[in-house]
Amino acid sequence: MEIKKTAIAGTLESSDVQIMLTQGTDGIVFDLVSDVVKQFDEAIKKTINQVLSEYDVQNVIVKVVDKGALDMVIKARTVAVVQRALDIVDEPKWEVL
Amino acid sequence: MNVFENGRSIDLMAVLDNREWRSHYQERLKVQYPTAIIVSIKLNIPGPIKSSPLLKDSYNFGLRDIKQCLKQFKIVYERFFIEKATGPEGFLAVLGDLKAVKLATISFEEKSTIGRLFDIDIMSEKNEQQLSRRSLGYQARTCLICDKDAKICIKRGVHTLESGYDAINKICTIYMKKQITIPKQSQDQVMRAAMTALLYEVSLNPKPGLVDPVSNGAHNDMTVFTFIDSSLSLQQYFNEAYAISHDFSGDDLTIMFETLRQLGIRAEAEMCDATHGVNTHKGAIFSLGILISAIAYGTRNGGVTIDDLQKIITKMTVGLVQRDFKNLYEKKQKLTAGEQQYQQYRLPGIRGEAASGFPIVMDMALPFLLKSVGTTSQRLLDTLMKIANSIVDTNLIKRAGSPDILTELKQWSAMYFALGGSQTPAGITYLEKLDAEFMQRHLSIGGTADNLISTVFLARLVGGI
Repeated sequence: MEIKKTAIAGTLESSDVQIMLTQGTDGIVFDLVSDVVKQFDEAIKKTINQVLSEYDVQNVIVKVVDKGALDMVIKARTVAVVQRALDIVDEPKWEVL
Repeated sequence: MNVFENGRSIDLMAVLDNREWRSHYQERLKVQYPTAIIVSIKLNIPGPIKSSPLLKDSYNFGLRDIKQCLKQFKIVYERFFIEKATGPEGFLAVLGDLKAVKLATISFEEKSTIGRLFDIDIMSEKNEQQLSRRSLGYQARTCLICDKDAKICIKRGVHTLESGYDAINKICTIYMKKQITIPKQSQDQVMRAAMTALLYEVSLNPKPGLVDPVSNGAHNDMTVFTFIDSSLSLQQYFNEAYAISHDFSGDDLTIMFETLRQLGIRAEAEMCDATHGVNTHKGAIFSLGILISAIAYGTRNGGVTIDDLQKIITKMTVGLVQRDFKNLYEKKQKLTAGEQQYQQYRLPGIRGEAASGFPIVMDMALPFLLKSVGTTSQRLLDTLMKIANSIVDTNLIKRAGSPDILTELKQWSAMYFALGGSQTPAGITYLEKLDAEFMQRHLSIGGTADNLISTVFLARLVGGI
C-alpha cells in the first residue's frame, strides 16, 4: 500500500507517542526520539514494523517521538496513523468535538 | 476511603482519543491567546477508572490550590471539563512569564499533598516545546509507589494497579483530612456535641440488634430510657476530659491519656449507677473521652484539622495495645471483653483503633457523613451501615462467638447499599429484617454504634450535621 498523504497520530504527552508518516521511496526509514532509555528503541520499532506489515506498507518515513508509551499505546497510535495516511479513515474534526 | 468507588471504566482508545483532543484544544488556545501562557490541568490516574465522584472532588480541591499558587497572574481564559469520562480536566490562559508560571505550578505539585496526583502542562505560542520540570532543574515526576522515575516504572510494568490504587487512596485520604478543620470551641459546646452524638445514636432506627426507641434489639436489659439516663450521667466526665486536656502542659501526651483514663474509670461507675449496672456506653466513654481530650488539647491555639487530630490521638495512645495486654495471663480478675478477645484472637479492638487514630471514623465515616444527603435519619443510617462494612466489631464477635461473623456483616452492609440504602423503602425494610434476625440470633453491633457516636460528634463540631 502507498502512503497517500502525510499523517500524524498521538501527542507529546507523557506515556504517549507521536508518530508521523510521510511518503518514502527507500523502504521503512525510522527517525526515532525517545524519552526512555535506549533499550526500548528496538521494541518500539518492532511494534511499529508489525503494524506497517499488516497494512502492507513498504515505503515510508516514520518519525517517532516517544514519551514513554506502553506497547499497546504504540500499537494503537500506529494503527491510527496508518489509517489516516492511507486515507481509509476520516481525520477527527477536533474543532467540532 | 476508596476514591474509585462508583467510578466508570473506560477503554484505551477513549484515553488516546482524549489525548489528541486535548492536544488540539491546547493548540487552538495557543493561537487564540498568542501572548498568554496556556496551563493544562488534569489528574494522573493509572488504570481504567479515570473519573468518580471523589476524583472529581479531589480535582476541584486541587484546582482551588492551583489558582491560589497562580494568584499573582491574571487569568484571561478558563474552561473546565469536570464530567469527562476520561477524567476531569481544564485549561487556563494566564498573563505572565512562562518560567514563573511553571515554577508556581511546580510549587503546587511539590507542596500540596494532592499535587502528586496532578499533571499540569505549561505552554505558549512562542515556545515550540512545553517547558519541562527538568529544564528548570527539577527532577522528573517520580512514581507514586516507589519514588523512582515514573516513566520507567510504567514502561516496565513493575507495579500492580492495586498498589497504584492504594497509593492514590492514601494521598486523597490524607488530603481530605487536612481539609476538615474543627474550629476552637468552648468546653460547653464540645460537651453538648458529645451529648448530641449519644442521643442521636440511640434515637436512630431501625438499627440491627441495637437499642432504639422502637425496638430494644437483641438487648433485654436496657431500653432507650437506660441510654438517656446513661448519656446524662456522662456530662461531668466530658467536662472534666476537656478541662484536663485544655490545661495540659508537657510533651508526653501519654500522661494526658493516663489522667483521662482515671476520669474514664470514674465515669464508668457513674454510668453503672445511672443504669443499674448495665453497660450502655463503655465504648463511648473510651472513644469520646479520647476525642474530647485531643480536641481540647489541639484547639488551644485555634482550629485543628482531622489529620492533626489523628496525630495527637496516636501520640496519646502510643504503645497502648502492648501495655494493656502485656500481662493478661497473670491477671487475677475476670478479663474484660477486649482483653479476652486479644487473648483468644489477637484482636487489638478499640485500643487498636485508638492507637491508629480511629481510622474508620476519621478516614472513612466522617467524610462519608459530611458528604451524605437526605434527612438526619437517612444520613445516619447510611453512615452506620458504611461503618459496618469495614469495622472489626468486637461486640458482635463476642456475641457471635467467632470473628467469622464479620464476613456476614460485610455482606449485610453490601446488600443494604445494593438495595439503595436509607433512601429506598427496600433499604429500610431490609434493616428491619436484619433487626429481627439479629434479635433471633442474639447479635448486636455495639462497636459500630460507638463509631457512629464518634463520627456524629466530630461532624457536629465541624458543622456538618
